[in-house]
Amino acid sequence: MTQYVLQAEDVAIHYGGVKAVDGVSLTLTRGQIRGLIGPNGAGKSTVIDAITGRSRLTRGMVALNGEDVSALGVVERRMRGLSRSFQRTSIFGQMPVRKQVELASHKMGVTDSQADADDVLQELDLWPMRDSVADDLGYGEQRRLDLALALVGRPSVLLLDEPMAGLSVKESLDLAQHLKALTSRWEVSVLLVEHDMDVVFGISDEVTVFELGRVIASGSPAAVRADARVREAYLGSSA
Amino acid sequence: MTNQRLAWSTLLALALGAAVTQWVSSGTVLSLLTQAVVYAVFAIGVGVLLRQNGMVSFGHALYFGVAGYSVGLILQMQWMSAEWAMAVTLVGMTAVAFVMGLVMVRVPGVAFGMLTLAIGQMVFLTASRSRGLTGGADGMNIDWPNTLFGVSTSVLVKPASMFLLSWTTLVLVMVLLTLLLRSRFGGITEAVRDNEERARFIGIRTVLPRAAIYALSALVTGVAGLLSSINTGFVSPENLHWSLSGVALMMVVVGGYKALWGPALGAVVYFLAKDILGDYANHWMAIFGLALIAVIVFSPTGLAGLVERLFKRNTPVATRAAVGH
Repeated sequence: MTQYVLQAEDVAIHYGGVKAVDGVSLTLTRGQIRGLIGPNGAGKSTVIDAITGRSRLTRGMVALNGEDVSALGVVERRMRGLSRSFQRTSIFGQMPVRKQVELASHKMGVTDSQADADDVLQELDLWPMRDSVADDLGYGEQRRLDLALALVGRPSVLLLDEPMAGLSVKESLDLAQHLKALTSRWEVSVLLVEHDMDVVFGISDEVTVFELGRVIASGSPAAVRADARVREAYLGSSA
Repeated sequence: MTNQRLAWSTLLALALGAAVTQWVSSGTVLSLLTQAVVYAVFAIGVGVLLRQNGMVSFGHALYFGVAGYSVGLILQMQWMSAEWAMAVTLVGMTAVAFVMGLVMVRVPGVAFGMLTLAIGQMVFLTASRSRGLTGGADGMNIDWPNTLFGVSTSVLVKPASMFLLSWTTLVLVMVLLTLLLRSRFGGITEAVRDNEERARFIGIRTVLPRAAIYALSALVTGVAGLLSSINTGFVSPENLHWSLSGVALMMVVVGGYKALWGPALGAVVYFLAKDILGDYANHWMAIFGLALIAVIVFSPTGLAGLVERLFKRNTPVATRAAVGH
């Protein structure tokens, strides 16, 4: 039997009569990258909110390493290894880079939080700007800092909400390579919401496609790319 | 600031306070300075809340006045010695503020300010109307004993001694806050202030640190209230009124809240303006109001921010790096 690091079962988020997410199930195995694609408003970010505990489930269950965490709050889920980045850069603007990453590592209970933070900063090429205040960084560097905050303490699951948004092609490719290398080395499982199809199909092991709050296709990148419904709903006939 | 620099700055500041009592012979000037220093502590209390939590209180006079009333009532009832009364007042007030903070800090933005205003005015009205207990609108005298912490009260309330006591308290408050806010706890509160949602997603439970800062700010304000009650030997509903909270907030805005010492500078400027402008105009607050607007428009980080910018501009980069700026 496959041991899932993350298992979301029949997840639904309804706002009154609006079904933002309705009956979504997906899984992640250790070190797996699952791309999550779909048009704007399809419910991709809402699924991330549901899994992390930011939004309350209307129905369904979220399990982390076999433990049902559906009733737990954001902090408890983070402490169990469920981490995320945000669609809009979410960092501590007035704090120096190293200080905030070290603080995040400390809160994760890492014994040598300084070494852990330094490791992540070097991994994401943020070491040269470690003493800079976050607000003074360039946009691409801020996106990497956002990722650094999510990576400290070696989470088992990382949910990334459009990490490449606003980055140049080169920055996107760099970040994608970092991600691929990190997930492989640290065995982090990643759920990647992203509109850059080259990145998603380039680094994902599996791809899940959303439309109107439901999964319309899921499988290997090649299979999803060949799926007629996906081409019609999202990728376009030329894809 | 390194520990060594902090230690030297502390010694220098304490020596400066002692020197002032030697240089200034006028009791009136010393009394004015004492008042400024007491309000500097008050303003630091209000400033800490804004600096660490990003929250504006319109009702912090609550803690300034309650500290005096609490000690006054305990001494009137003869429940315990004055020293214990002060300790119980500060500990009790901090504990109550923490519990209140657990609820209040969840209220966002302007609503929080209105809540502090409402609670402050509620206590103001209660004190004003409880004539039998608090003396009502007339206020109450505080029956300080003959000695306080082994020092004769008659000596303590002399202008020079009172200034020295207030100044030393101000310096100690600043040092303790500096140490506390650069600790891990300070980092956590900064993170929560900057981005509460992200703070939760790095594992920080955000309500507790915010409530702790609220309580800390109440404690510092309470210390100012105690100093004021020793200085005047009197407490009245005026010490609880929202306008006093407004004055403290003005000091914070003028001085600037980003630097810990900004509100203290604001208090000094406020009292200097009151003394100097008051000689020329009855409505000196109107002139001070213009100055306040000028500061908000041209230096949102207050006078402290202005001083820091000037200092940085005039300090060579190598020196700045060496001193950690």
